[in-house]
Amino acid sequence: MLLREIMHTDVLTVSPDTKLCEAYRTMHERKIRHLPVLDGEKLVGIITDRDLRFATSKLSEVPFDPEETVQNVMIKKVITAHPDDPIEIAARIMRDLKIGSLVIMENGKLVGIVTGIDLLDALLALTGVHRPSGRLDVRLSDRAGELAKLTKLLAERKINIHSILTYREKDDRVRVMLRLNTMEVRNIAEEICQMGIEVVWPVHVSCLR
Amino acid sequence: MFEIIFTGKYAKYNLGAEHPFSPLRMKMTLELLEALGEKVEFTEPQPVEPDELFKIHSQDYVEAAEAVSDGKEIPNAEKYGLGTADNPVTEGMAEGARYICGGTLLGAKMLIENKAEKVLQLGGGLHHAHYSSAAGFCLYNDLALAIKEMTQNGMYVAYIDIDVHHGDGVQEIFYNDDKVMTISFHETGEYLFPGTGSIFELGNGAGKNLKLNVPLEPFTEGESYLEAVKKVAQTALSQFHPDAIVIQSGADAHFSDPLADLLLTTQDYEKLFRLLIELGNNFAKGKMLFTLGGGYSFEAASRIWTILYLVLSGKKIPKNLEIPENWRRRWSGILGVELPEFLHDRPNSYKAIPRKKEIEAHNRDTVRRLLDLSTAGMFYF
Ligand SMILES: [Zn+2]
Repeated sequence: MLLREIMHTDVLTVSPDTKLCEAYRTMHERKIRHLPVLDGEKLVGIITDRDLRFATSKLSEVPFDPEETVQNVMIKKVITAHPDDPIEIAARIMRDLKIGSLVIMENGKLVGIVTGIDLLDALLALTGVHRPSGRLDVRLSDRAGELAKLTKLLAERKINIHSILTYREKDDRVRVMLRLNTMEVRNIAEEICQMGIEVVWPVHVSCLR
Repeated sequence: MFEIIFTGKYAKYNLGAEHPFSPLRMKMTLELLEALGEKVEFTEPQPVEPDELFKIHSQDYVEAAEAVSDGKEIPNAEKYGLGTADNPVTEGMAEGARYICGGTLLGAKMLIENKAEKVLQLGGGLHHAHYSSAAGFCLYNDLALAIKEMTQNGMYVAYIDIDVHHGDGVQEIFYNDDKVMTISFHETGEYLFPGTGSIFELGNGAGKNLKLNVPLEPFTEGESYLEAVKKVAQTALSQFHPDAIVIQSGADAHFSDPLADLLLTTQDYEKLFRLLIELGNNFAKGKMLFTLGGGYSFEAASRIWTILYLVLSGKKIPKNLEIPENWRRRWSGILGVELPEFLHDRPNSYKAIPRKKEIEAHNRDTVRRLLDLSTAGMFYF
């Protein structure tokens, strides 16, 4: 999944001489937390609700006046990504740098923004249940063709796979969780067992004790 | 007054000899009742016409279903969930489903016109049929059609779904509707088909907070199940005060069901039916329409629906009521399995569950979280 598929393209921006109180109002009214700062078409910074609140807080050593401009508070080194970057790259950058959004740039122009919430939406799209389906959970040996055996059988039984999730377990085996468009997961699970694949769910079917 | 609706034409909704959603289950139930000396008198419904289904299904879906059922090839059957492993295409299935819809609709009309207080539709319960697609053995949503008929006659309706699978089709069709409350008790979608039915699915727009879901842990037993039903249904119905309750009485939460993982016994089902009737009498002026539903251990399903009939007719069920030999011999021959001697399950008929306490605690948390969520902004009535 690419950032292009999940980014917001209607990005609200401010200019360096926007007043802090105006930037605050925009964030409040539009329920957003990040505003890229553009000088003409050039990205010169980003300002977040957190930066704003810290800067203007009475608790700050020298609080900024709400009438001052964004350019004195904004972060000038903006972390950006490309629309064709995969979402896992975005997640990695945001996690490592502990930042809440990524500005998306293409050909030197701002084309979008992605926030942590968008990544959660992407996670839901990848893992969620979007069509009626039952769960099949298996352990595969880590070698070529294992998954193919499984999917071939499903295809023969006219069973559609709605999603596949997989991760490596400690003992180097591969856990694969599928959502199948059938009420009768147990029937197919039994056949899968006969092929020598360990079935984790449905449990009654685990023929490999 | 207690009315039964049935016709042999329901059997036209036949998805193949090997398919679990078999009309044999209704036949077994009726014959078991007769063997027990019950004189079952039923009203036979007419089928609905395809265009009557446009109230709850999209026109293109109904036309696609009718076409394939007539043996015609259509280019995008998959899109409508037709011709899959769960919903194979068989000749005449659409007509059969329209008889089933006609039956459940007739039940609704009996309640609307005060011709009956309790109705048992000995078929139907196709709760997985969606607005625009077949799913989970279900073609046309008879429940939704009946509920729609009632709301169009000014009634507020509560729908209670005790099938082990989430009642996703009915929920979807009324998701924005403020005249319909849906409550589904099911094995959690994390494991079981169709995957939906989390506590966070609460409805939308005018229907917000009127759609309730109780996803239960695999291997939930009767006590925990009944506790959840009592708590949630009582809280919800006492605030919604419907004019009638429609109940999808799927029997697939029984411990012997081959498709799911809950562990209800026939005794639990008897308690459940009595509890639901009590709730209906207290909060819905006694008006209730029961349909059948899932239930894929044929012998358990036929015993459970026999119990439903006996409870509805106000009978006490003796603890050791024996199943007549002739019924057992006949169906044992047809199904090729041993059949039990008694109507009720015998004690300790499934292996004890080591995680029992954990499962009960988890279910209690689920109910608590659901009620917190739904009462936070809720109940308009
Ligand atoms: Zn079911």
